[in-house]
Order: sequence, then structure tokens, then C-alpha cells
Amino acid sequence: MAYILATLSIVCIVGGLFFFTTATIGLLRFPDFFTRLHATGKGDTLAVFLCLIGFAIHEGLSLTALKIAFIAVFMFLAQPTATHAISRAGIRHGLKPWVKGEERQ
Amino acid sequence: MIASSDDIIIKTIARIFVPFIQLYALYVIMHGHYSPGGGFQGGVILGASLALLLITHGYDEMKRKIPEGVIMLLGSVGVLIYAGIGLTCLLLGGNYLDYSQLSVILHVDPAHARSLGILGVELGVGFTVMAIMYSIFFDISTGGLLPGNEKRSGEWEDSE
Amino acid sequence: MNEFFVAIGLGMCILVFLVLYRVIFGPGVFNRIAAISAIGTKTLIILLILGYVYNRVDMFIDISMVYALLNFIGSIAAAKYLEMER
Repeated sequence: MAYILATLSIVCIVGGLFFFTTATIGLLRFPDFFTRLHATGKGDTLAVFLCLIGFAIHEGLSLTALKIAFIAVFMFLAQPTATHAISRAGIRHGLKPWVKGEERQ
Repeated sequence: MIASSDDIIIKTIARIFVPFIQLYALYVIMHGHYSPGGGFQGGVILGASLALLLITHGYDEMKRKIPEGVIMLLGSVGVLIYAGIGLTCLLLGGNYLDYSQLSVILHVDPAHARSLGILGVELGVGFTVMAIMYSIFFDISTGGLLPGNEKRSGEWEDSE
Repeated sequence: MNEFFVAIGLGMCILVFLVLYRVIFGPGVFNRIAAISAIGTKTLIILLILGYVYNRVDMFIDISMVYALLNFIGSIAAAKYLEMER
């Protein structure tokens, strides 16, 4: 039983690291501000959720796992809201989305 | 002046999160002797929760909900708790802030009385820190302009 | 299991340095704010891994929860400030 829990925890954490890597590569390589916001807003949220679930499974059934689950739920709700606020500020400020054929910004 | 945010998502999420942030701040104040925390850290988190409300709901609505008199009263109550516990220990026969004298009132042994005395003092510190942080943020957010007399910064009226 | 966590932590540190490029060279202020929010998210995981390394997880959980709160409030405050019409 302990082996199954340890394997599940390792799978979750490695999956989280993979999504972090893809989100970072997207943040560096995408051509426009709004596309970069897509990459970091979605990828980082899922990656943090998976990593925290992996930590909680590693702890077993205790108070610590409950607290980590609270952090995970909070990040799952708060990170998309922050992304929405930043993108709304970008539109209000006058940034235009990227059209295919323009140069990178 | 900070205008109210006209987006329903940000307002709703802020309204949902503020009670939970305040509950977590109370947990941080209470567990000061066992884990990282204490009076000042919990007070900062409480002040940050009120600052979140001010950012998302605007200056006018927050001026209606939490007027400046109420927040100054809350700050004074915090100092009153701190000084009151100290003076109570003085009146009961010990030094200032000597919590072991509180065991006469609370009917516990002196070690428990010391622990409860520190807890009360931390609560007072937390209240005062919350009130002052919110008050400073509230005053700075007006930008030096009185309500009803708003001009954009950069336009100076003539001296004549 | 301890070495596995240390390896994950080192991977996270490398990712933080990669995002730092966008903080320095991002054209305009909006790219920088998005990148700072991403760095804050990665720092949260690094804090928990430090808790495992020092074998005192229940202390570092409180610190990481506070950091998640402050990251969220900071992002919303910065976005509110930059919302002016050009």
C-alpha cells in the first residue's frame, strides 16, 4: 500500500514539473503579451494543483494534508482571477492582439 | 480616488475570499508561540484583506462601509487591551506586564496565566496593526485630493 | 525520497531563472507583471520542498499559504493601477 501511495505521489509531482516546463517555454517563445498570458495562466495553475496534490498524497491522512489541500483549492481559484485582471488591464490600456504576419513583440 | 471595478468576476471572488483570509489571519495570531506568526504578522494579513476590498470595490463604497471613525476606534481598542493587561498586572501587586499575577483573577496556575496573558497582548497588537494599515492605505489612495474637489494631478490652479 | 525532492527543487530553480529573462527584457510593463506572478507560483513549490529538506513541513505550510495570498493581492493591485486609458 505504501508503494502505491509513493508511486502516485511521484507521478503527480513529475507531471506538475512537466507542465511547469511547458508553461515556461511558452512564456519565452510566444510572440505577444496575450498569448504569453494564456501559457502562464493555464499551465501554471494546473501544474501547481498537481504538485500540491502530490505533496498531500505523500503525507497520508493528517492535518498537514488538509492544509495543503486548502492551499491547492485557493490557488485553483485565485490564479485564473489574477490572469483575468491582468489581461483586462492590458485591453483597457490599449494593447492590440497579435495578428499572423506581424513581427514579434 | 479608486473607482469601483466594473467587472463582476473580480468583485465576486474578492467577496468570497475575504472571510477566509481573515479566518486564516486569526489562526496565525493564535498560533504565534508554536509556528511562525504572532501579533504583527496576523495584523498585516488582516490589513491586506481590507486592502483587497478597497481595491476591488472602490473608495466611495468602502467609505460607507468602514468610516474613518470606526477604524480609529478599533486601533485605540487594541492599544487599550495591551495597556489594560499591563496595568491589571500592576494593580494586582506585581510588575508591569507580569502575567503571573493574573492567576488570581483567572483561577489557573501561573504558567497558564503567563500563556493567556501573552495571547491577549498579541490580540491587541493584531487589532492595532490592522487598523493602522487600512487607515494608511485609505488615506494614500485619495492621492491628496478631497472628495468632491477632484482634479487630475498635473493641473495646478493659478495663484491669482 | 529526499533526493527526489531536492532534484525537483533544483529543476524549479532553473525554471525561475528562465522566467527571469522575461522580467528583465519584457517589452513593456505588462509582460513583467505576468512573469512576476509566475515566479511567485514557482516560489510556493520551492518553499514546500525546503520544508521537506529540513523535515519541518508543518511550519513551511503556513509561510507558503501567506505567500500565495500576497501574490494574489499584489497581482490585482498592480493590474488595477495600470488600468488607465492611454
